[in-house]
Amino acid sequence: MDFTFRNTLSPLQWGLIAATALGVFALYFLKLRRAPLEVPSTLLWKRAIDDLRVNSLWQRLRQSLLLWLQLLLLALAALALLRPGWKGSDVQGQRLIFLVDNSASMGASDAPANAQRLAAAKETVGNLIDQMDRGATGMIISFADQPRVVQEFTANTRLLRERLETITLTSRTTDLLGALKLADSLANPAQVAIEEGGVETPVVTPEPATLYLLTDGKFADVKDFSLGNLYPIHIPMGSLATNNLAILALSVRRSETNPASQQAFVQVANFSDEPRQIDVELTLDGIFLDARGAKVGAQEATGMTFALGEAAGGKLEARIATDSLTAAGDKLAIDNVAYAGINDIEPGKVLVVTPGNIALETALATDRTKRYGEITFQPPRILEEPEYQQAAATGAYDLVIFDRCTPKESPRANTVYIGELPPGPTWRDGENPAPKISVPQILDWNRAHPLLANIELGNFDIVDSLALPLPPGGVPLIDSADGPIAAVAPREGYEDVVLGFPILVAIDGKLQRNTDWINRHSFPTFWLNVLDYFVGERSEALRAGGQPGQSLAIKPVTNLREIEVALPTGRTTKLSRQGDEPFQLHDTDTPGVYTVSEAGTTTQRLAVNLFSRDESDIRPRTPTAAEGEAPTAITIGATAVGQAAPARQELWRPLLLAALVVLVVEWYIYNRRVYL
Amino acid sequence: MPADLLPPDLMAQLERLELVTRKVFRGRMKGERRSKKQGQSVEFADFRNYVPGDDLRSLDWNLYARLDKLIVKLFLEEEDLHVYVLIDASPSMGFGEPTKLEYAKQLAAALGFVGLVRSDRVVIDTLGQAAGAKGPVLRGRKSVARMLDHLASIEPTETTSLVDGVKKFCLRNRGRGVVVLITDLLDKSGYDAALRYLVGQRLDAYVIQVLSQEEIDPAMVGDLKLLDCEDDDFAEITVSRPLLDRYKRTLDAFTAGAQEFCSKRGLNYLLAHNELPVKTLLTNYMRRRGLVR
Repeated sequence: MDFTFRNTLSPLQWGLIAATALGVFALYFLKLRRAPLEVPSTLLWKRAIDDLRVNSLWQRLRQSLLLWLQLLLLALAALALLRPGWKGSDVQGQRLIFLVDNSASMGASDAPANAQRLAAAKETVGNLIDQMDRGATGMIISFADQPRVVQEFTANTRLLRERLETITLTSRTTDLLGALKLADSLANPAQVAIEEGGVETPVVTPEPATLYLLTDGKFADVKDFSLGNLYPIHIPMGSLATNNLAILALSVRRSETNPASQQAFVQVANFSDEPRQIDVELTLDGIFLDARGAKVGAQEATGMTFALGEAAGGKLEARIATDSLTAAGDKLAIDNVAYAGINDIEPGKVLVVTPGNIALETALATDRTKRYGEITFQPPRILEEPEYQQAAATGAYDLVIFDRCTPKESPRANTVYIGELPPGPTWRDGENPAPKISVPQILDWNRAHPLLANIELGNFDIVDSLALPLPPGGVPLIDSADGPIAAVAPREGYEDVVLGFPILVAIDGKLQRNTDWINRHSFPTFWLNVLDYFVGERSEALRAGGQPGQSLAIKPVTNLREIEVALPTGRTTKLSRQGDEPFQLHDTDTPGVYTVSEAGTTTQRLAVNLFSRDESDIRPRTPTAAEGEAPTAITIGATAVGQAAPARQELWRPLLLAALVVLVVEWYIYNRRVYL
Repeated sequence: MPADLLPPDLMAQLERLELVTRKVFRGRMKGERRSKKQGQSVEFADFRNYVPGDDLRSLDWNLYARLDKLIVKLFLEEEDLHVYVLIDASPSMGFGEPTKLEYAKQLAAALGFVGLVRSDRVVIDTLGQAAGAKGPVLRGRKSVARMLDHLASIEPTETTSLVDGVKKFCLRNRGRGVVVLITDLLDKSGYDAALRYLVGQRLDAYVIQVLSQEEIDPAMVGDLKLLDCEDDDFAEITVSRPLLDRYKRTLDAFTAGAQEFCSKRGLNYLLAHNELPVKTLLTNYMRRRGLVR
């Protein structure tokens, strides 16, 4: 325990208080007001007083109960002004940076008196601000997934306190690195002056700053960061014995067996030390659908499947039952509910423009591919027809595959070009035609790209191909010794995939294979990936929404320039866009279902959920302590950050209360003449 | 006649008492008491051989006839007793309920009555009287009314110190007898010198210290400035339990000191307070001390 005083008065003011004490003494002994009383003789009284005087000054003072009470009152007041406190580290340094975590996990109500961690953190920072020395400056930064400067360096503690109160809880995840970088850049601006000789000298002398980190530590260790002049102190928030039940995932998919019906998948997790029964209730637009329960072991997660049937579109909500929450002592509310938007099933539209490609037709004719929607095969002459041109301009297709043909303009759809380049200059590297190469040797392919998932491409040959010039933002899919022969590149809101090599070629009026890829398993898999990526999962994933704070890209069904989005808060916001870019919704701080209306008709429902294991596992990091050193739970770069006790507890309030009691006692004694 | 000084029932009780002295005194007139001195009365005391010059009237002729020797018969002398009551009438005696002076007057009246009834010579003086101004000399039951009138005229206004008053008393009254000094002894110059005068007079002296109840157990509170009623002296006190305890100890030491002083010098000391009935004081305490019987 570290008992300290903090002086709040100047020497002059202390002098005044000392003078007050002397004044009380003087007034007491001068005794301006004594009731006169005539007695037969003062002889015996004088003797009695003299006896007491002879005894000691103490005897004399002992009678003066009121004097003592007054002095005690004064002493208590002086002590209160000294602001004694304990159980805290002194504020170190002249420059203080308070990094306050306001991510979702800081909403756990496991601080003392069931307060939220953020409230406790703010109180702690408030106490630290109170302890700042004269002339010390402080800065407040709040951080979740993005850091925010709440208050720049200032010595104005009142301003700091006011600004501190503006920090509110967010539903976001935690990223410490961004906050550290911001703190570092603000604390030590990297300004250098280059003198004539070429010597760089910092304009501002680097000054050390103490970094108070108020967080529960639910984030990955920060690896690549050098603290430099920052001296971090970690003030851990939250209790180590905290329980939480969470929904970590909620998704709606078409049933594998029955494409017309949908299923909801819920993943629940138990972040406590005992197995818990977790019951989940599912509602659609507020109407109860189903409930499931599962026994989930400590620190484990489990999945539940709900059959939704042919459910109409609406807001799906999964909620952990109150009984389960109460039994487990759940401390974080935000992850007890998950949202999903069910959109009316709209089968994808795929157009294949081909002069005839039996291999492609076979690959796209499986039962599995049919689930993604309607696949139409048309000859290249359709490109000239106004029917197609209108459909292409309005974005009626999800995917258009151009086999050995090119339209005049790219359609408003994702495209795959086989053996040809898309129209326009972007894929042409100026006006130069793409160089033709023969028997390219495949060196590598982009295994990380979903289009090439589960595909082995090393086992086939290609006769002729184009060496593709990569447009800006393009990603090579297949690399040959002479350059990429397959690539994907974004175009406005869409993506173009180009296979530089045709699959079949017409030679002398007969179709011949240009590659033996069609004999490999990877060929139909690739086309399935294409459908999955452009028609199936990707769009569904897009419509699944995101995490709070992330901007939502909304791909409209129609080609309107303006849409309306109803937020879960009840507000409605209008979005507009340039060209064919998806709409960007930034106001996504509230978890829930965001409903998109296009021209007054609800077309999409996007869900925003926390779904973060790190945030839901709200138990703070367990600190490890070397002997004789502060426990550490966080490592920044190579530095293990020592923990500090929460800020000091102030004693001046009870002292002032005691002074008040003394005052009352004094008043009582004065009125009742209580004898000592 | 102020009846409150000497109520009839008290008078009836006092009739039976008489003042006693342990010392041999020469009375000036024949009294009603047997003196330790031999003299002329009807009460036989002793025989002794005749020496020339003796009064022939006192020869015991019967013995001369039987023994052929001249033997003189001695008789006890009967004489009067000089009783002095000396009252301290300083302002400090004017405190209490009844005031200490009232009490002293009652006591003086009672003692004087006993003396008058027994035909003793009673003088009631105050300390403030001048050396030359003698008080009335009272004798016989007929003087009771005069005595009471004299007592009633005494007021607590005299400012003479104890020692001066006693000294003047001694100058005024050279005779022997019993002196009863009724005072509170609260004199800043001390009581030693005053009492020594009494010792030097070879009087059979009684000192009755009268204190008021408020002096014995003061019921005062708060921060006080105590003003002495006799001089301009004052004492500033804050009443507290320790101070009151200390005062009581001081008072006890004061009275004990006076008692010790008196007993060492053959003076009789008695402590009375203003709420003790005079009757009780006379019939119990004084009888025990041998002043009355």
